[in-house]
Amino acid sequence: MHVVVCIKQILDPEIPPREFQVDPQTKRAVRGRASLVISPFDLNALEVAVQLKERAGGRVTVVSLGGEETPEALRRALAMGADEAVWIRDGALEATDASGTARCLAAAIAKLDEPDLVLFGRQAGDWDQGLVGPMVAEALGWPLVTNVFQTRGENSPLELLQQAEGGYRVVAATLPAAATITNHEANVARLPKVREIMLANRKPITQWSLGDLGLAADEVAPRVVVEALAVPVPEGHCTFIEGETAQEKAQNLARALRELKVI
Amino acid sequence: MDFELTPDQRAVRDLVRAFAREEVAPHATEADRTGQFPQGLLARLAELDLFALPFPPEYGGLGGDTISYALAIEELAWADASLALTYAAHCSLGAGYLHLFGSPEQKARWLTPAARGEALIAFALTEPGGGSDAAHPQTRAERRDEGWLLNGSKVFITNGAHAAATVIMAATRPGGGKGGVSAFLVPAGTPGFTVGPQYEKLGLRSSDTAPLALEDVLVGPEALVGEEGRGYEQALAVLDGGRIGIAALAVGIGQAALDRALAYARERTAFGQPLSRFQAIRFKLADMTTELELARLAYLKAAWLKDQGRPFRKEAAMAKLFASEAATRAANAAIQIHGGLGYTRDGVVERYWRDARLMEIGEGTSEILRLVIAREVGAAGATPPPDPGAGLRAGPGP
Ligand SMILES: Cc1cc2nc3c(=O)[nH]c(=O)nc-3n(C[C@H](O)[C@H](O)[C@H](O)COP(=O)(O)OP(=O)(O)OC[C@H]3O[C@@H](n4cnc5c(N)ncnc54)[C@H](O)[C@@H]3O)c2cc1C
Repeated sequence: MHVVVCIKQILDPEIPPREFQVDPQTKRAVRGRASLVISPFDLNALEVAVQLKERAGGRVTVVSLGGEETPEALRRALAMGADEAVWIRDGALEATDASGTARCLAAAIAKLDEPDLVLFGRQAGDWDQGLVGPMVAEALGWPLVTNVFQTRGENSPLELLQQAEGGYRVVAATLPAAATITNHEANVARLPKVREIMLANRKPITQWSLGDLGLAADEVAPRVVVEALAVPVPEGHCTFIEGETAQEKAQNLARALRELKVI
Repeated sequence: MDFELTPDQRAVRDLVRAFAREEVAPHATEADRTGQFPQGLLARLAELDLFALPFPPEYGGLGGDTISYALAIEELAWADASLALTYAAHCSLGAGYLHLFGSPEQKARWLTPAARGEALIAFALTEPGGGSDAAHPQTRAERRDEGWLLNGSKVFITNGAHAAATVIMAATRPGGGKGGVSAFLVPAGTPGFTVGPQYEKLGLRSSDTAPLALEDVLVGPEALVGEEGRGYEQALAVLDGGRIGIAALAVGIGQAALDRALAYARERTAFGQPLSRFQAIRFKLADMTTELELARLAYLKAAWLKDQGRPFRKEAAMAKLFASEAATRAANAAIQIHGGLGYTRDGVVERYWRDARLMEIGEGTSEILRLVIAREVGAAGATPPPDPGAGLRAGPGP
């Protein structure tokens, strides 16, 4: 079984809100002192992949498209149990969007040695769009199962446990297939051991440019134009709930909350 | 000049940080209350290879550098100083002694399980008669046909009750003195070697601290660690390294106090505004931040020197002295910033103060460290101080 996991390195979403800033000119988040981390759902995807490898054998390849600090994310993935790492690195990708990213990832996956399963985080922790996984599956022409948290079995068709209202659905997926992974207690990312960290820091990382992927710069140019980007300013309003009796006040409060769609 | 950590160092720090925050911190208050030895967490440290980190690959270690090791201690201490001390005393002092001075046989027998986290090794220098005077132990080791006969007692020994073996400093010449102190590795359960009840400590309450008694303990010649009569110099070298770890431990405690104080100052309001708006509070936070960052730089510098194979005695002493005092000041300020809550168990920060306080005592009191530093810069002058001043250079075990 060859499992590919696509990961994205993002600004640590755990930074205090007051430190999060947006550059109005470039319409991007300002790095500031925030560290870069693997997007949370991608960590869940890595964990699912490594568990599958431990159960069914085979190997895990991790792929990331990103800037100069991407190797750190890839090394973390190697330490968690991935066997090989591919860094898609090209100056032309600096401003790309979900569609450009998906094109690159699809080309990279097609170039890899017969993957059986490709996993993505449900959505990236920065833009929260959830587009890349489905777009890659579409580009590859593979079936896609979304919101998966665990796999069962060892061969095709592989059982994918998909989160559903009040429980889960078991989807038997014919391989090769793609899945987006959501978080669950069964796929909390493991802490790597120090030995694995040190080994991972000494493993080679494959680098592919757009040329290596057979893509031209205009094929990955952004198709989405961000018109404006700003940090929402929290506003507080105060409403007094009227009522003669406690019961009436409570009823009015409940109604007000329902109108606000809070309850 | 390069202040950037290497990928290994950064990854080790991040790993231990994640582990400490997710798995250690949630239980630290409870561990402080019950005083229960952190057996389960030590097993996790072993699983994550943290015991292997500072030891050489020949004995199952990872050959990690001192910087990584010290960063790991800081992160553990941020969450639970008792756990950090248990780890640091084992790695720096007990197992550290064998690593530096043990024979290949002793290392194969003891360092290998020590690096796997399967055997804790304690280091026993301090005695009822005094800990600061490392050159003059009352514990005696006398030659016998079979090896050595040990008699004496030790106090305040970290991991004393849980150690699989203990490095015992003893006089091999009546009165000890330079050339008269040697180290012996005594396995737990050796006839005549007993462990007393745990001390009721101010802080570090889930670490194991016990007195040891040696009554006609007969050990073979293989128990001698390093050369006979070199124990004093050896102990000094072991303590030099240990002080880097204690400095890092102190920074971890201080940082935890600062983090809590900062969070509290931002959320607690008085006179209609957050505490952090008051200059008196802001200045405290600024001082804490500054001192802890400088303390961190100091231990990293000492660790870097050690990793380069350069002399680091003075730098380790300065780092430990400054970091321990900065940690106590930070914890003290954190209590003040928390007001009445700071004085209660619920406020948590009082634990930092209780835990930090040891860092000014163990592995060389602040007084002894000032003597070490003064001597290192030549302030002692040309004439050697009177005996037992010679012993003071050492400073004690942790
Ligand atoms: C929790 C804990 C864990 C410990 N773990 C260990 C361990 O694992 N192994 C071990 O061997 N020891 C251990 N110790 C002992 C510790 O290292 C000693 O307590 C310390 O070195 C001080 O020795 P002492 O208590 O005998 O104090 P003393 O040496 O009696 O000193 C008392 C006071 O006098 C001061 N003083 C002494 N001499 C001078 C001088 N010449 N000039 C100025 N001031 C001086 C000291 O600084 C101190 O303030 C531990 C202690 C504690 C509390």
